[in-house]
Amino acid sequence: MALVQQIQLQSGGSGVRGASARRIAGSPALRVVGRRLLSAIPVLIGVTLLTFAVMSVLPNDTAQAVLGLNASPAAVAALNRTLGLDQPFWERYWHWLVNVLHGNLGTSIQGQSVNHELAIHVPTTLLLLLYALVVSVLLAIIVATVAARRPNGILDRLSLVVSMLGLSTAPYVFAFLLIIVFAVKLAWFPVLSGPVTGPVSFFKNLTLPACAIGFGLFAIYTRLLRADLVEQMQREDYIVTAKAKGVPPWRVLIKHALRNSMFTLITVVGLNLGGLVGAAAIIETIFQVQGIGNDLLTGISNRDAPLVEGITLVFALVTVLGNLLADLAYAVLDPRIRYGSSTS
Amino acid sequence: MAAPLPDITLATPVPPPLPSLINARRLRSQRLGRALRLWVPVGVLILMLAMCFLLPLVVTLPSATAGNILYNNEPPFSPGHWLGTNVQGVDIFSQLVYGGQVAFEIGVAVTLIGIAIGGTLGVIAGYGSGWVDAVISRVLDILIAFPALVLALVIAEGLGPSEFHVILALSAFGIPAVGRITRGTTLTIRGLPYITAAELSGTRRWRITVRHILPNIVPALVTFLLLGIGVVIILEGALDFLGYGIQSPEPSWGNMIANGQQVLTAQPEYVLIPSLALLITVASLNMLGDALRERWGTQ
Repeated sequence: MALVQQIQLQSGGSGVRGASARRIAGSPALRVVGRRLLSAIPVLIGVTLLTFAVMSVLPNDTAQAVLGLNASPAAVAALNRTLGLDQPFWERYWHWLVNVLHGNLGTSIQGQSVNHELAIHVPTTLLLLLYALVVSVLLAIIVATVAARRPNGILDRLSLVVSMLGLSTAPYVFAFLLIIVFAVKLAWFPVLSGPVTGPVSFFKNLTLPACAIGFGLFAIYTRLLRADLVEQMQREDYIVTAKAKGVPPWRVLIKHALRNSMFTLITVVGLNLGGLVGAAAIIETIFQVQGIGNDLLTGISNRDAPLVEGITLVFALVTVLGNLLADLAYAVLDPRIRYGSSTS
Repeated sequence: MAAPLPDITLATPVPPPLPSLINARRLRSQRLGRALRLWVPVGVLILMLAMCFLLPLVVTLPSATAGNILYNNEPPFSPGHWLGTNVQGVDIFSQLVYGGQVAFEIGVAVTLIGIAIGGTLGVIAGYGSGWVDAVISRVLDILIAFPALVLALVIAEGLGPSEFHVILALSAFGIPAVGRITRGTTLTIRGLPYITAAELSGTRRWRITVRHILPNIVPALVTFLLLGIGVVIILEGALDFLGYGIQSPEPSWGNMIANGQQVLTAQPEYVLIPSLALLITVASLNMLGDALRERWGTQ
């Protein structure tokens, strides 16, 4: 809201504001965003409801687990009442939903506020994922462009082999390989990651986990980008035009083909975001990164329903945002689709 | 990780060059390359399957669950245990063989369940009326946005670890993914002239679905099956690894890797041997999927 007001303030006079507001409202980007956000509501409700259901299917001995085996039945019942576990399912869900809409994610079984827990651990996971994403996307762009310059050349074949390896390697296996080589043999990085406090500790602690997550991503993105580039170079009219004008080959590849392929890449990055958090959980456990993936695992083994529900909500939000990004890149930004649809 | 690759990743349709520009030698080497890309992964997979399922029937292997502690930590190529033994003295090759059985069984079962349920939902959504599509698509959206790992862990935690429960848990990954792919493919096919022709000539909808739509989504589903088995084998390993899948002493590649973790620096071969088996299997599945895609021109 504040942002919209600021834009309106900056746009000055009321007449201008009206015109620009109409233009924004009619823009396809806004329509896609609006439709996606609307359809995100049932998805988020469904996901949280599913999490709730799944967590309450677990044998419900949370209070017993917290108090120990020797606790009296009265104490167990009292704790169940405090935790709200004695209420029926729908009531509990409604109560939780109302609290979430007020920005309160509840209290974990350990007695800490879930908001607080997430505020500490979400940034670490996001930093880790961003690190992995940025590095893998940049590398993929470089490798795919070089490979697409001469399809079936030596570099192209090499890139295909490397990306096939990346696609077929389990991230946890690759993580062990990294640990053996870079943490044990070369001792450049610690085996277990400590807390991230500044840029130095960021690189020290998150480089190996980010590589473990990023290798598979790099493979996916490279294959995708290379395929898209090669296809464009062989069949698109604008490439033929550019070549016929005498534009140098590298320039055609980068200015004309790569720019379009970026949208395909963004689409896939967006669609993959949701799966990434799952990968993060495994990698975070191996390296003991204090992120929400790690929390999720401990949360489930502790039967910590509020914590698990909070984390699932974050995951679902990331997935929904990723899908939004994919839709935007595909339907609104990609000039091939944009101009293709307006002419037909 | 969980979501399988979108189809755009893999296919690079190349328009065939004019016949006059092809010389015979080049054509022959291209044909050879195509054949190799298909038959090498097929051969490797047959070898792996034979090793896992036929070999134990022919040769008596040492037990994969119990070993003699007197012969523990034997190095590879030692007598009686040609890949050596682990800390408890259990033969590593036997573990590899029986773990491989588990990996293949789970991989195939999960993908088949995914194709049966997800595929049905996808076809119904893609060829159904507006609101059916809307409902099914939303359900699939929810399943995709729901971290399947949570469901997998909760199933393992609640029902106890076993092969069947792992299959159930991993189906949560498979069903929405196949559903989305099938819906997309069905939507594309639905717009093709032969479907319109069939509709105009009064063919019933279920008959169109069975006779015209299903046969045409089979190529997409088969390539997905291959890629999917690879992804599921990796995920199964991840569950074992987290301690929520197959539990040792029951052998599986995932818990071999997890157990090897404790002696990672001293004896990296405990991690490397099952990892290599995993890599070879998944890579051949992926390569076979690619080769079939190239052959069928699936998009």
